[in-house]
Formats: sequence, C-alpha cells, structure tokens
Amino acid sequence: MIDLAANLLWMFLVVIGGVLISWSVHFVPVGGAPAAMAQATGIGTGTVQLAAGAGLTGLISAGYTMQVVDNLPLILASGTVGAMIMISVTMIVGTWVYVYGVGCVPSSAKVKVDPITHDRQDLYVSQGTEGHGLPTVSFVSGVIGGALGGFGGSLVYYALLKVGMGVAEVDANMIGLVAIFAVGIFFVNAVIPSYNIGGTIEGFHDPKWKKWPKAVISSFVATIFCALVAVIAISQLGGL
Amino acid sequence: MSAGGDGGEAKGGLPPNTIIGIGAAGGLIGIYLAHFLPATFSFFGGLGAICAIVWGADAVRRVASYGLGTGVPSIGMISLGMGILTALFGLSVGGIAGPIVAFIAAAVIGAIIGVLANKVIGMGIPIMEQAMVEIAGAGTLAIIGLSTVIAGTFDYAVVLETVVSTGFIAMIFIIGGMGILHPFNANLGPDEKQDRTLILGVEKAALAMIIAGLASSINLGLGPAFVTILVGLTVWYISFNKFFGFVKRDAYAVVGTGLLPSEEELQ
Repeated sequence: MIDLAANLLWMFLVVIGGVLISWSVHFVPVGGAPAAMAQATGIGTGTVQLAAGAGLTGLISAGYTMQVVDNLPLILASGTVGAMIMISVTMIVGTWVYVYGVGCVPSSAKVKVDPITHDRQDLYVSQGTEGHGLPTVSFVSGVIGGALGGFGGSLVYYALLKVGMGVAEVDANMIGLVAIFAVGIFFVNAVIPSYNIGGTIEGFHDPKWKKWPKAVISSFVATIFCALVAVIAISQLGGL
Repeated sequence: MSAGGDGGEAKGGLPPNTIIGIGAAGGLIGIYLAHFLPATFSFFGGLGAICAIVWGADAVRRVASYGLGTGVPSIGMISLGMGILTALFGLSVGGIAGPIVAFIAAAVIGAIIGVLANKVIGMGIPIMEQAMVEIAGAGTLAIIGLSTVIAGTFDYAVVLETVVSTGFIAMIFIIGGMGILHPFNANLGPDEKQDRTLILGVEKAALAMIIAGLASSINLGLGPAFVTILVGLTVWYISFNKFFGFVKRDAYAVVGTGLLPSEEELQ
C-alpha cells in the first residue's frame, strides 16, 4: 500500500509550492478586460492566463534543468528565472503597445506617487479610467510575482517527481504524469487568488494586496488535498 | 470593474437537476460503454464527454451569472485543474470503478474549494459550493471521457502510456476546458438564453471529440478513429446549425455586410 509517511516531506513541499503560487498572483499586475482597453493599470489579460504563462515557463525551465542535474537549489533557480523572464517580456511588450500603440502614459490610479521612482501619477491618469499601462512599481511587482510563481511551480514539480522516483524508474509516463499534476495544482492555485483580488490588481502597492492572507489560507487547505490525491496517484506507478 | 455576468441568478430553460442527471449519468454510461465495448465504439467516451461538458457549461452559467469578479475562463480552468488531479487519482486507485472514484474525489475537492471561496475569500455567491462540486465533477468526466476515446479504455496503465506520456493530456485539458468555459463566456449578457449557451457547449464538445478522435488513430488505428471523427462531425454539424438558428432567433436582425468595397466604390 502507499506509504504516505515516507512522502510527508514531499507533500509538505507541494503545499509550500502551492501557497507560493497563490501569493505570487497578488504581485502580478493583472488588468483584465479593462486593461485590454487601456482603462486600468496592468497587463490586459486575466490572472490565470498570466500566472499560467509565467508559471508554466518556470515549470519547463525547471524540467529542462532537471534532465541535467538533480540539485534542488539549481532547479528552483532555473524555474524562478524562467518565470521572471517570461513575465518581464510580457510586461515590456505590453508597455510598448500601451505607450506607442495606444498612446497613453503608464500611470497608476491607486497611489499618488510611484513608491519606487516617486513620480507623480494622478496627473497622468486619463479621465474615466483607473490608470493605464505599467508604471515602474507595477513592473517591479510583476517581476517579484513571476519569481515567486516560478519558484513555487518548480518546487511542486520537483517534489512530485521525487515521489515518483521513490517507487519507480523515471520514464516518459512518470514525467508526463508529474508535469500534468503540477499544471493542475498550478491552475487551482492561480484561480483561488484571482477570486480574492476580484480580477484586477496593480501590484504590491495596491490596497487589495493586503487581502493576500485569505487566498494563501484557502490555497494552503486546498493544496493539502490536491497533494494527497497527486501523491497517491503517482505512488501507484510502482505497482504497474 | 468586473467582467462577466450581471450579478443575479440565471433564469429560464431546463432545471439544474435535469442537466445534472444528463451530465453525470450520460458521462458515466458513455465512459463505461467505451471501456467495455470493442475499440470501434470508443466514440461513446466522446458522447459521454459531451454530456459532461454540457453539464459543466450549465454549472458555469449558473455560477458566473452572479458575477465572479473576474473573467469566466478562470472557472473553466479551475474545473479542469481539479478534474485532471481527481481523474488520474480515480483511475489509479479505482480499477474498474475508476471513473466513479474519480467523480467522488472531484465532488470532495470541489466542495472544499467551494466552501473556501465562500467562507474564507468571501465571494458571497449562494450556490458556490454546489457549483464547484458540479464543475469539478463535469471536468473530471470530460477528461476521462476524452481519454477513453484516445486510449479505448480507462485502464490506468494504458491511459498513462497513450494519453499522458504522449502529451495528449495537455490537449484534453485545454479543449475540455474550452468546452466548459467558452459557451457562457461567448453568450453572457442580458439576452443570454440557456438553450443557446448549452448548444454551443455541445458544439465545442463535438470539436473536442473530433480532435480526440484524430489523436486516437495512433493507438486504436484508423478504423475507430474514423468512426469517432464521423460521429463528432455529425454532432458538430447539427449543433452548429442549431446554434446559428438560435443566434438568428435571439438577434434583433441578422444582416450581411457584403464584401469589402473596391477602391472605385470608395471614391
């Protein structure tokens, strides 16, 4: 039968990874549909798409490193940097579109001055909008979000693969199973915080950011159960 | 500024319990028929997936009508996220009862996330708990149904070999999710009608079935794949025509814009 006690450490790491993913979403400047029309600060798409885009890139780069080396810090670093690059590219291209395409100044409606550059924001917010584009503070916040998401995603992947390694040889079946479980856990933990922030957030300077404990607690509880089913299903590989 | 829904209860059409019955019973029957009958009949898994996806689309319709505060796609993604975990869990431990075990596991995880969403996050949607159970169950049955189309069985080892390690599971994730999230996302608004939304669900599910049929040709051979694609195309053709009919019924007017004007006509 399945030895859950032996996998307790890995389950714990999966839960930590899930919680980090949940927390990371609060840093990503998600603008949703209003931002797609340059009527709110942030990137013009939903939380899930952004978190998934960055986090899955982190998963891929972590998986790639894992082919070469079985060293946890290196794998986590690879996943973290992969997700940071992905979210940065998304944000810089988005900024080009807002500045040169739409023709608006990146500005935040939630704070009067940018906490990082100390530039005035409220003067540049167009009437009838909640800001537009990605001011410096949102960009920095997004990179932090990408880092946390990539770190969490690669932690989940690493821990689940370790569970599999405990019962069978690594093969394509195991990699596929572990990867899709990591994706499933990622999506669950990306959607829970997106309901917490109500679809849009500007970054860590947004008042909504302070609501993060609610999402983190929810993700913590939900991920325990996700980790349980994932560990049981992966452990069954040993009996095949 | 929140996207999706007008902040009230979804009205009209078939009662929820009828759809739940069609989705759960139809989904499970389709999956078991595809498992026990020879490979030629693997298309029953696709028909089961259609029932499950229509159920999921209806549950999304009911819960997203309250306004989720974010886009409708998020709920389709959490549905398939929960579904993929519980589907593979059920198949791995359940043996012949796999789909039923998966279904029960989905209901448990869905209930937990529904309670968390209402009690901890405070979304305040009265039907959130029930809807999450339904959405997780529908996502699970859709994934098992489409996997059974490709593998010809829901045996864990065969599904791992032909669906998971080949990467088709990622494709099922997205096309199944599309079937559940897209119908309401495309039809929402004050003039939303249940029959129009659900027939779009059938149409999306039929597309998923055709794609799963194509993928099944690697494992099951061209014959069963051809049957699945043919059944899928038939369902798609009928449902698309019906959907277009409903669009014309609900629209104030459907007018053709004609071709783009030529340069002389613009002068």
